[in-house]
Amino acid sequence: MNRLREGLYIFRHQRCAHRLLVGVLIVLAAWLASAGASEAADTGKLVEKDGKYVFVESMDPSLKLLLERSVKSGMITQEEYDQVVKDSEERTQLLSPTFRGWYDRGFNLSMNDNAFFLKIRFRSQLRYTQRFRNDAWRNPGEAKNFPELLGVFGDYRANRSENSSSSFNVRRLRFYFMGHLFDPDFKYYIQMRAETAENAQSPGSLSLFDVNFTYTKLPWANVQFGQYKVYFNRSQINSTASMQFAERALVQDAFTASGLDRRDIGITIMNDEELFPVNYYLGVFNGAGPSFNRLGSFTSEEATVGCPGGQTSGNPFPSPAGCPANQRNLNANTRIDVDRLMYVARLNWNILGRPGYGEGDLAYSETPQLAVGGGYSYNPGVNTSSDNAFVGLDLANLNIRRQLAAFGNGRQLGLGIVDYSTWAADGVFKYRGFSLQGEFYFKNVIRHDKGLPCMNTTCTATAPNNFGNAMGWYVQSGYYLIPRTVELAARYAYWDPDTNSANDLIRQADVSLNWFLNGTYDHQIMVTYSNTQFGTGGYTIGRSAPLPPGSGTVPLDAVGGTLIENAIRVQYQIFF
Amino acid sequence: MRNTFMRSDRRGVWGLALVLVWALAGCARLPYTTRTIHEDQRVVVAVQRDVQPQTYSHPVQLTSAELTSLLRGFSIREQQRLPLRWFSEEQPPKPLFREDDLQALAPHLAQGFQQVGPNDRVHFEVRNPGFNPVYGRDTIAGWMAVRNPYLYLTIEYFHTQIPVRKSDDYDSNYPLPPPTPKEYILYFEPGRFYTSDDKRVPAVEFRQFLKSGEAGAAAPR
Repeated sequence: MNRLREGLYIFRHQRCAHRLLVGVLIVLAAWLASAGASEAADTGKLVEKDGKYVFVESMDPSLKLLLERSVKSGMITQEEYDQVVKDSEERTQLLSPTFRGWYDRGFNLSMNDNAFFLKIRFRSQLRYTQRFRNDAWRNPGEAKNFPELLGVFGDYRANRSENSSSSFNVRRLRFYFMGHLFDPDFKYYIQMRAETAENAQSPGSLSLFDVNFTYTKLPWANVQFGQYKVYFNRSQINSTASMQFAERALVQDAFTASGLDRRDIGITIMNDEELFPVNYYLGVFNGAGPSFNRLGSFTSEEATVGCPGGQTSGNPFPSPAGCPANQRNLNANTRIDVDRLMYVARLNWNILGRPGYGEGDLAYSETPQLAVGGGYSYNPGVNTSSDNAFVGLDLANLNIRRQLAAFGNGRQLGLGIVDYSTWAADGVFKYRGFSLQGEFYFKNVIRHDKGLPCMNTTCTATAPNNFGNAMGWYVQSGYYLIPRTVELAARYAYWDPDTNSANDLIRQADVSLNWFLNGTYDHQIMVTYSNTQFGTGGYTIGRSAPLPPGSGTVPLDAVGGTLIENAIRVQYQIFF
Repeated sequence: MRNTFMRSDRRGVWGLALVLVWALAGCARLPYTTRTIHEDQRVVVAVQRDVQPQTYSHPVQLTSAELTSLLRGFSIREQQRLPLRWFSEEQPPKPLFREDDLQALAPHLAQGFQQVGPNDRVHFEVRNPGFNPVYGRDTIAGWMAVRNPYLYLTIEYFHTQIPVRKSDDYDSNYPLPPPTPKEYILYFEPGRFYTSDDKRVPAVEFRQFLKSGEAGAAAPR
């Protein structure tokens, strides 16, 4: 593994990676330029009429016959004939209707003989959640994997609650605009969301979720660029509209490619999944999550270059030797590691059939469907806190830190700048309503600062031990009791968020009864029962003893225990 | 890493496994394709195995011309649910197939009827380009079977837009299973040959129809 780390360190500084990216962009630009070029016009075209393909001459056949005979008899010249044919074709083209609209899994609008296509869709998941939590949720609560970060400084807050809760929720609310431009091979996809997650402290607002373009002229080298879900692991590639449970397992969210979010901004080259048995995906991304880029990630610095800043002066945070005394108000936000990018690769082998990424065998596969896959992601330079070792009031970018906490990687907060090296392996089998799916994840967390994490600027106080790595897996299975209509599914998930800590495991068991009202994922009712157990052990910076100087005397995990949650989620989805 | 609640967790896993085994024991199934006789862009004909034991009179010799005249007699309209039924079923039925559909389908159906067994049925699809041809195709699909003296026809899709791909062309990796078959009301002309078997399933007394001399005539359109 050390050799691998070294290799990756070298790679991230290599210019060849940037050259590769530039090369990809040039090729992409060339393809896009060719998209506008159309084939030479024929004297007619294939049109669809009442569900039938027919070839229609651009010119009225009787007129064409008369003209041809006129040319033969010398009544008109060939040039006159060509001109009148051209004029007639233009007239026909101008007079013909080029717009049609219909409903089919969305509102479909096709323009200019299907050169432009727009599909508008809407999806909502309305949910009722009945939740029961044990007393450990009252104290200590969850402060390690999913801490809440308060205010502009992102102070740590434990997520605590009383035992029982009942709530209605608009869990997902999505608007889709998709189709193709100029050519059916140049596709666009826009997704907006306006929803509120469970436990969110503020109502959701309409925001951009996805915007991307895909060029599919070459089936062996499709290109997708923009903001979208990174092609890394099976459970994240799959849509939340086609799951077997109301929510993804927690472990699935924790091992995204970037470690921050399943979405990112970048470019992917891949082949057509439906044409090739082996599929590859090669992507380059910002590695900073959706609607964001690395230029927003900073570390605090005093006016004096190289001196950690952004904190109250004096004890308990004296400046390191050679630096002037800290000043509270005048500091710098210094962008570092802004030349880094995230690199992602995935390989998928459809051994039998094409099971696809939707969970469960809703299609009732008549032949066995089997696929295995794996992914690797390298996301360097993620600033989990400022590197000045001041972890109480941390002034690293709050968006990055909140993403880490939201996806369950809160134990990695305060580790300074880290490189994520994440592996995933998955498999799926489907046959006649039965499905079995599983994934294994491993994340190597490489701190830039070596040794024990410092807890003050002079590093006289350190964390008691180093953070390890993270690993997890899940397996889920389902069977359609009534084919294409009623499914029973079960899942077990295991997650070790810090391999150096004890009593920190997160285990989750789910059972779901799903009713697909019209035989597709689009219209469904789910009743999902989930049992989740969080171990509260292990050391986390700024929340466990020993606390950083000045951060208080009572840690958030002073009272140990296991957090147990039993929840029933009744969810209605409609996608139209 | 070990926790004290490991034992109770194992019990939970075993419980889940038992529920799964119980569910699998139910084994509800759908008919499935055992052999594809013909497939191209226009027509698919396949042998489909019925999950319930059947006593069809298969294989059976029917010529392409005989099948064409039989299928030409069918017309169709969609069976709507209430309250839409009150309105839509006033619409007249439409011919099931166009002539070019019949020309493309009948030879392969005839071949199919020669290759099916007593427990099989002949499944067919007639395809045409959809409204957005890169996304879906216009499809008429169903199955036929013969149990002397009856010929059975069930239609699953009538000019239904069926996705070309298994996942959405635009919404990457969103699965696109075909819609579930709809219910249709079939009619046959001349109506005196359209009757019901002993289980009250509508069927055509096809031998009598083919002997009647009306088989060659085009059905009213």
